[in-house]
Amino acid sequence: MSEVLITIENLRKYFPVKNVWGTDVALVKALDGVDLKIDSGKTFGIVGESGCGKTTLMRTLLRLVEPTSGSVLLSDEITNNNFSSNKLEELTSEELRNFRKQIGVVFQDPMGALNPRMLIKDIVSEPLTIHGKTEGIREKVVWLLNNVGLGEEHLYRYPHEFSGGQRQRIVIARALALDPKILVLDEPTSALDVSVQAQILNLLNDLQKKYDLTYVFISHDLSVIEYMCDRLAVMYLGRVVEEADTEDLFSNPQHPYTRALLSATPSFEKQKEKIMILGDVPSPITYLDESKAKLATEITEQERLEIKAIEGKGIEYIVRSSLNEHLSLKEVAPSHYARVK
Amino acid sequence: MLEIEDLKTNFNTYDGVVKALNGVNLTIKDGEIFGLVGETGSGKSVTCYSALKLLPKTGEVVGGKIVLNGEDITHASESRLRQIRGGEIGIIFQDPLSALNPVMTVNEQIGEILVLHQDEEIKKLASEKEIPTYKSKKFQASPGVEFTILAFCISFISLFVMLGQFTFSLPFLFLIGMMFLRNYLQRDLPQSALDLMVIDALSRVKLPNPEQIASSYPHELSGGMQQRVMIAMALAGKAKMLIADEPTTALDVTIQAQILQLIKDIQREENMSVLLITHDLGVVAETCEKVAVMYKGKIIEEASVNQIFKNPQHEYTKALIEAIPKGGKERLKVPDIGEPGAI
Repeated sequence: MSEVLITIENLRKYFPVKNVWGTDVALVKALDGVDLKIDSGKTFGIVGESGCGKTTLMRTLLRLVEPTSGSVLLSDEITNNNFSSNKLEELTSEELRNFRKQIGVVFQDPMGALNPRMLIKDIVSEPLTIHGKTEGIREKVVWLLNNVGLGEEHLYRYPHEFSGGQRQRIVIARALALDPKILVLDEPTSALDVSVQAQILNLLNDLQKKYDLTYVFISHDLSVIEYMCDRLAVMYLGRVVEEADTEDLFSNPQHPYTRALLSATPSFEKQKEKIMILGDVPSPITYLDESKAKLATEITEQERLEIKAIEGKGIEYIVRSSLNEHLSLKEVAPSHYARVK
Repeated sequence: MLEIEDLKTNFNTYDGVVKALNGVNLTIKDGEIFGLVGETGSGKSVTCYSALKLLPKTGEVVGGKIVLNGEDITHASESRLRQIRGGEIGIIFQDPLSALNPVMTVNEQIGEILVLHQDEEIKKLASEKEIPTYKSKKFQASPGVEFTILAFCISFISLFVMLGQFTFSLPFLFLIGMMFLRNYLQRDLPQSALDLMVIDALSRVKLPNPEQIASSYPHELSGGMQQRVMIAMALAGKAKMLIADEPTTALDVTIQAQILQLIKDIQREENMSVLLITHDLGVVAETCEKVAVMYKGKIIEEASVNQIFKNPQHEYTKALIEAIPKGGKERLKVPDIGEPGAI
């Protein structure tokens, strides 16, 4: 059992929805009570469809957005007993800067993450200058670029001169500049081709082995998740519906949404059982008005149409409205949690 | 159905000529789902745009033959091509939100295609049911205009009431009354034949509440619904062939499964041919019967779906299959492909 690096406790983030007069009428529950433990030196994966709160979770983890309630607890490995508190939301701005040194971020779109008017050497050295580590900065930048498979000859170039995979390498180099303990990867390969994706995934695995990094890996591509992650949380509408070790989750999914998600991933390897999810994603808006607050659990018009379309074809299905019921997280197997009855 | 022989397409750029296609041969039979796979820059989209002559000005077809249903359309006139696009071949693009016009309602956009390709059908339906052809007799200003008039009337009424001159507000009250009276009198007027056909087209792609969706703008719909509207548009002209250019890349896996199922269902119901362009080998495996792998503007391997995954022949195909991450923790093999595209 490895050491826990970050503990997320009952984290909630609600975004208010205002009407014309500026009074709150509803809340978008982007995170609705998330509990997670991120182990040191492992890769923790977060999967879910768009709008389920993956990115908000990442942003609260970095304290780029303030959570509504709940807390993020940091272990001694991160705080070094220097911080006034081990709760992320209680850190002072000076301590927050120190905390952010230890956490690197790689975003989805590398072109959007790189300033098109800056040279590569400036981009990669920027975190070092900001944190005042200007000694031997050139050597450090070259070392970082070598680490991600680029070289000294790339120092004086602009981002547009690189291919998509190379740009992502530059972003990774910049994220590693301050020797972080954790790397948060928000869909690092979804903009790339499979062959380039394979290169980046190999690079990430090498770096993890070399520097004993902890990864928080956010993706919607299950084959990538299965390859990269040790432990995995499936999110649906701001909640973690299932959490388990990757092998366990892929071989024995418990929550209906997880099962449908696994079977929806196109693959050519094995003929799996096919479960379709019918209907559209429900809105995450919760009205403050009690009468409108509850999500309907009866079948909607669209779902009825879709059921009619696939009936008699021998395809198993679940409807989205049946997922709206709120169940509590249960331990279904050792260290395997799911929201099931 | 569609035969492409030795197709060559060049792009003229300032840096020289880019040979995007170097002799592509493709045959798509009737009622077949054909997959075209390749990486970015391999020329899969250019193949379909060349076949329909939808290339940008810098691109030109320099050789080869395109035969649609026995008719050589390589040098077809622009007017004939307009009949083919939408009428005989329907297209679905990758990003539905940028392919749909944001300032037109779904009704207007599908109606446009129906008027262009199904004009006789609309007229026939109109004379059969004795209803207006294109436009219902219902008078409807846009909701924005109606709202503005209403707001003006109410503000004037309240102004005059406050000034104690109630009589001056009577004309405005009358105006509001007329608006409601008009709606009441128009409630039984029939919809036009065009509207009925639009609603029919929308219900073919299993959209709930087609009347409501017809009157909405693209941004009001979810990604999956937008892609369904795109499919409805591609099918509206009674096309016999569908070209789907990465139809599910912008969608989530669960919605992707729904859309692929819909494409399969429609293909079977109407016995269409489908050319599915994608970079995802998994999508091909689940949907297609035959598949061709493209690399640097050439088709390097063509086989049935079962064969290509069990027994890939070409080195590149093997590498492409091995590059997909699987459960195990062994190192991924990276295909040694160099830079895509050849100048």
